[in-house]
Amino acid sequence: MSAELVDLALVVADRAAGSEEIEAFLVHERSFEVKAYDGDVETLASAEPRGAGVRVAAERSVGFAYTTDMTDEGLSSVVDQARENCRFATPDEAAGLAPAWDGSPPEVPGLVDPSQEDVAPEAKVSFALELERATRAHEGVRAVEEAVYSDSDTEIAIATSAGIAGSYRRTDAWCYSVAIASDGDDQEMGFEFDLARGLRHLDAEDVARRSAQRAVRVLGATKIPSERMPVVFDPYVAAQFLGVLSQALTGEAVQKGRSLFKDRLGETVAADNVSLVDDGRVEGAPSSAPWDAEGVPTGRTQVIEEGFLRSFLYDTKSARREGRSSTGNATRAGFKSVPHPSSSNLAFDPTGETAAEVMRRAERALLVEDFHGVHSGANPVSGDFSVGATGRLLENGEPGRPVKEVTVAAPMLEILKGIVAVADDRRWLPFAGSYGGATTLVAEMTVGGLGG
Amino acid sequence: MLEEGVVKQVLEEAVARGGDMAELYVENKRSTGLRLDSSRVEDVSSGSDAGAGIRVIAGERSSYAYTNVLTIDGLLDAARAARAGLSEGPTPVADLSRVEPGTTNPVEIDPARVPSTEKVDALNEADDAARSRGGEVVQVTATYAEVRQEVLVASTDGRLATDDRTRVRLGVQVVAARDGQIATGWEGPGHSGGFELLGRRPPREVGASAADKAVKMLDARSAPAGEFPVVLAPGAGGVLIHEACGHGLEADTLVKEASVYANRQGERFGSERVTIVDDGSDAGAWGSFGVDDEGTPSHRTVLFDKGVLVGHLSDLLSAKKIGAEPTGNGRRQSYAHLPIVRMTNTYLLPGEDRTDEIIGSVKRGVYAASFAGGEVKPVTGNFVFGMSEAYMIENGELTYPIKGANLIGNGPRVLGVIDAVGSDFDRWEGVCGKDGQHAPVTNGMGTVLLGKMTVGGTEA
Repeated sequence: MSAELVDLALVVADRAAGSEEIEAFLVHERSFEVKAYDGDVETLASAEPRGAGVRVAAERSVGFAYTTDMTDEGLSSVVDQARENCRFATPDEAAGLAPAWDGSPPEVPGLVDPSQEDVAPEAKVSFALELERATRAHEGVRAVEEAVYSDSDTEIAIATSAGIAGSYRRTDAWCYSVAIASDGDDQEMGFEFDLARGLRHLDAEDVARRSAQRAVRVLGATKIPSERMPVVFDPYVAAQFLGVLSQALTGEAVQKGRSLFKDRLGETVAADNVSLVDDGRVEGAPSSAPWDAEGVPTGRTQVIEEGFLRSFLYDTKSARREGRSSTGNATRAGFKSVPHPSSSNLAFDPTGETAAEVMRRAERALLVEDFHGVHSGANPVSGDFSVGATGRLLENGEPGRPVKEVTVAAPMLEILKGIVAVADDRRWLPFAGSYGGATTLVAEMTVGGLGG
Repeated sequence: MLEEGVVKQVLEEAVARGGDMAELYVENKRSTGLRLDSSRVEDVSSGSDAGAGIRVIAGERSSYAYTNVLTIDGLLDAARAARAGLSEGPTPVADLSRVEPGTTNPVEIDPARVPSTEKVDALNEADDAARSRGGEVVQVTATYAEVRQEVLVASTDGRLATDDRTRVRLGVQVVAARDGQIATGWEGPGHSGGFELLGRRPPREVGASAADKAVKMLDARSAPAGEFPVVLAPGAGGVLIHEACGHGLEADTLVKEASVYANRQGERFGSERVTIVDDGSDAGAWGSFGVDDEGTPSHRTVLFDKGVLVGHLSDLLSAKKIGAEPTGNGRRQSYAHLPIVRMTNTYLLPGEDRTDEIIGSVKRGVYAASFAGGEVKPVTGNFVFGMSEAYMIENGELTYPIKGANLIGNGPRVLGVIDAVGSDFDRWEGVCGKDGQHAPVTNGMGTVLLGKMTVGGTEA
């Protein structure tokens, strides 16, 4: 379908009249999902969604429109709408489409698992049933809220009247289960998942064990007294923290005064062992792609280097505002969205210890294994960070007493400057982006629990 | 949207190999959105998203397929995909009869007929008003969104329902800064109706209010951590009810006994003051509709009656499992999603307490004026929600703003500490996320006193 989709995009881009420029972004996906519950299949879903998003740029204004109608008539009408919308946008010197570039972007390996095409629906159903069974079989698990296998095979094409044209394909497969553990009066829930390019790389037993453990190990959790103490983020939670941080790391957020890093470029913003890298080409990572949502080749950006803030992340417009080049960080939520800058695959470099070593170094600390209310309690503009937490108390570096209904809080710059170690257990987590979480020790945060 | 003959043909194809029930959901959604940022109208977008989903239910199993190809061939292909795996004889399709909607949301001014320049003007007015509130206002983002969603639902058991939903929303986000301090303020009025929203909620007032919140919060000091009495502001405070009570009473979680409220109907959770309803038929409210996304009329459901748990929210499947009538709470984000149980407009009904007396009764506590959002685990009832605008209460008076604070607690237990409910009922519009699907919802309540809550802050 590859050639067809990019040809269709070129047909749309060729409608550019006079000095205007047109960009066509087309998506064609095939997806499948099976959800297991109580030993049986609860839902099966299959779909083949498709759509086109079109931007028209003229006289320093850009208008956007989208459609699911891929007929000649539908595509013609979406160009007219984008052109009409262009009239109402405020002219902006930085606005416009990505410039054409020479050559082809280097290959990003491993976006497609060729074996995935031959996986029969029956195998996917069996996988979900096995995931459900294995989760339920775990000691202490009373029920499984759901066990899900899901996959997609997506073709993405882009063409601009300035000369960008290309398409790529990616396959994705992922699964998760939600275990419910109970013990007398207490009930707890555990969520875990796995993701890969194809089903053959997913491990149902491992996901089942991890979901079950997340639920069982916090049974009987209680609050602890309020105290300032060291805090360890597990990889899952560390990725959630990166998700908040990333919102403050785009050039656009900084230009618009919506970043805690405004006016801090070149300054020390983290401990001197902290380096943070955004890389759109990591093999196997969720956000890897040859080019970004505007057709600009993806790349690697050193954001923080040994504590110094080195660079922000840019799309074409935010880069043009500073007279520099895009870092290939334009993303879209889909064909219905305009591109905006955001991180691709973002992660701290490991500091050379295993997770066990990091925990031993922490001695007595709160090991946070789940955050609650991150979207409300963490503010990438002010840097305020105060979120609910569940986890275990580390004593002599060993996880012990389960803890819940506490909050952990500290200004985000203090958290960054307090990072003592980042372990080597990195895991890519897709929380509306792609974040490489690893066990991370923070010297001190306020844990809010009992007492006033 | 589709001829009845086509609808019937698709349904017949879907159950041609058996199954207990098949349902066709067709949606045509046209959206327009404008976004002003840094005093520039940066994004002007519009689009049309049309598709159809077919669900076949056989025993405990639901199969679903959807397509953007709305020709008879596209629909029949989807019907065949949805029935894959079935191999019995055909199930009969009942004659279709029209479902009466639970309410009608009037549209006085069709937003699609309003020139784009008026929408641009509205954003500029909100921007001007916000910036006029002082030099500390450094950034203003204003958004205008209109959606018209036409829906058709038909099923093999004879339901045929249509709905035509127009929603309009204005949003203003303000960033204020002073001496390295940064604070944000947000207002986002919306309704089920037309462009008349902007007459009722003038963009100037909305912009000014968001700016005032941000500027006030510049003086915020770090919030204390610990246990305090908490006063919730009218309207926005309803997030608590949504999170603490609503989600746990969605029958899909009840059926799976994944809710802390499972098997507890008739139990007392709060005082006589606590009556909570979910009402999708509240005409004009942001979370209202005529029929839900399964064709069930919208409905007012009492969840807690004077402190006693008496109700739940359900869609077709969960209602069948618990042997009750569906409450009209089956909603989906779009044709690409299966319906799930969702809240609509969830209200703690007004009480008789006076606002000044509620605040006056608190010696040392927290007043929560706006929330940034919240989250709950239905299995335990534990919730967290962040306060984007909050104040300390000392000796019965609001003294200074506090920042970086959130409330954490447990749903059933929090109902037990509702010690006062004000008569100053107000609504607050939001977007609720569940299982990856978003739905417009309203939270509503008057001023509420919670006797004791855990506040998470940075001061131990």
